[in-house]
Amino acid sequence: MAHEQSTVSALPASAPYRSWQPLFFDAGRAVVMVFVAGAVLLFFTLGTLQLFNEARAVQNLTFADIFPSPREIYAAWQEFDTLLLEEHIPETLWETVAGLSIALVLGVLLAALMDFSRILRWILYPLLVVSQTIPTFALAILLILVFGFGSGPKIMVVVLFCFFPITLNTFAGLQSSDPELLSLLRAMGASSFQSWTKARLPAAMPSFFSGLRIAATYSVVGAIFGEYITAQRGLGVFLKRSYSSYQIDQAYLAILVTAVLSLLLVVLVNLIERLALRWYYTTRRAGWRGPGIY
Amino acid sequence: MNAEPCIELISVSKTFRDGGREVRALENIDLAARPGEFVTIIGPSGSGKSTLFNLITGLTQPDSGEIRIDGRPIGSRTGQVGYMPQRDLLLPWRTVLNNVILGPELDGRPKGPARREARALLPLFGLEGFENAYPDTLSGGMRQRAALLRTFLTGRDVLLLDEPFGALDALTRRELQRWLLDVWQRFQKTILFITHDVEEAVFLADRVLVFSARPGRITTVLPVDLPRPRQSISLLSADLRRLEAELIEALEAANGAADSG
Repeated sequence: MAHEQSTVSALPASAPYRSWQPLFFDAGRAVVMVFVAGAVLLFFTLGTLQLFNEARAVQNLTFADIFPSPREIYAAWQEFDTLLLEEHIPETLWETVAGLSIALVLGVLLAALMDFSRILRWILYPLLVVSQTIPTFALAILLILVFGFGSGPKIMVVVLFCFFPITLNTFAGLQSSDPELLSLLRAMGASSFQSWTKARLPAAMPSFFSGLRIAATYSVVGAIFGEYITAQRGLGVFLKRSYSSYQIDQAYLAILVTAVLSLLLVVLVNLIERLALRWYYTTRRAGWRGPGIY
Repeated sequence: MNAEPCIELISVSKTFRDGGREVRALENIDLAARPGEFVTIIGPSGSGKSTLFNLITGLTQPDSGEIRIDGRPIGSRTGQVGYMPQRDLLLPWRTVLNNVILGPELDGRPKGPARREARALLPLFGLEGFENAYPDTLSGGMRQRAALLRTFLTGRDVLLLDEPFGALDALTRRELQRWLLDVWQRFQKTILFITHDVEEAVFLADRVLVFSARPGRITTVLPVDLPRPRQSISLLSADLRRLEAELIEALEAANGAADSG
């Protein structure tokens, strides 16, 4: 809530916005990203070659066994596209979206409870932190062993992965609202519920969305992890089967699909954020941040 | 003129506890304002001026004494007066139009008529064409005018303005003072106005109250007998200069030092 008192009339009201500027920044960023990606790729290629040479000395592996060519991956896609599109991806997507939605409701609810009551904050906050010190993986395995094969336990795993960043960020956002603004509202005769809906909640929205963005990147991985332990359908199952039958090209395909799903989810969250927080992005407080993934 | 005061403070005192130490912020404040009166309050920093406003808005309670609005004690109720703090505190996620109707909205009045009323007043407040702009894109002067419109639209008869022009440059401040007088005359509001500026205090007021340093007390009441409307009064007017000199003297006496303004 940085209200700069000094920005008096000297500042041009809504400075003329040059439409080419964002494009210029995006182009610059693309160049930088290509360089970075190139460096990373080089590193991994050299590393893979080294590992491969070491492995070949022990096991009788060919290069293609651990590093399929793009054509092979594409061939795998052609072979399995209907299976993936009709069975595995919808299952994973359903678990992801359901889990993320539950985590969203749960996270906001917990944050609101902690914001409302000091006693609840005192009780819940340490519990939340402790809940994150328990390895989520161990808990996830337990959940699936207890609750079985269906998609329910996987959704629970996704919730487990996702609710923490949402809760913590929303809570921080709620706590950050301007005390002077709150006393103005009180002076104007607002009830505590009114100052919550009209000031605290909207002020918390930018933090809430940063939490949701982190959660969105975790969510697909959470679902696949759950499926990997044991399931009948889903990308995790596909991945596990690929590994156990030494079909490396299929494994790469599964990894690619996972990455694309995660990216799409993050882009969706960003899109919703940009529509919902127009005030945040049209004013100079945030500036242009491009249509990308953050 | 109606003799019945619309706001009345009767020997109001307030003490704060600051880590075991007791700080007397206000001592025996007696104050009454007629409907439509413009009262400015001036005094050194820490003389409890803002505390006074917190008491009148009902945010804090006096230790002794009573505050009455339209003859009724306010008790612990808030929302009886319009209040504008030093910072504009516009909601950054609302457009100008939705910011200024906050008062009616909190009262539970329907938004449609409130918006219509606000729209009609936008030209007078110099905000025409900016109803859909977000506050962060406005200049400091426009933000203060939007905050003032929000305060006016609360529909309260008594308005408390706490250094509303304190953060503005001299020229904008000058312009807004004249404009405020114009708006005040149209709406017939009672205004209590805190300032640090001697010229501003005299130029705007029917009456200037001088507060002493802690504990805050009213040491001088200076009636300003300049004719109204004053929008066209010259800054060099002899009457204005005489009153300013009187006020500076009163301030120096209140402060017990040569430092003022």
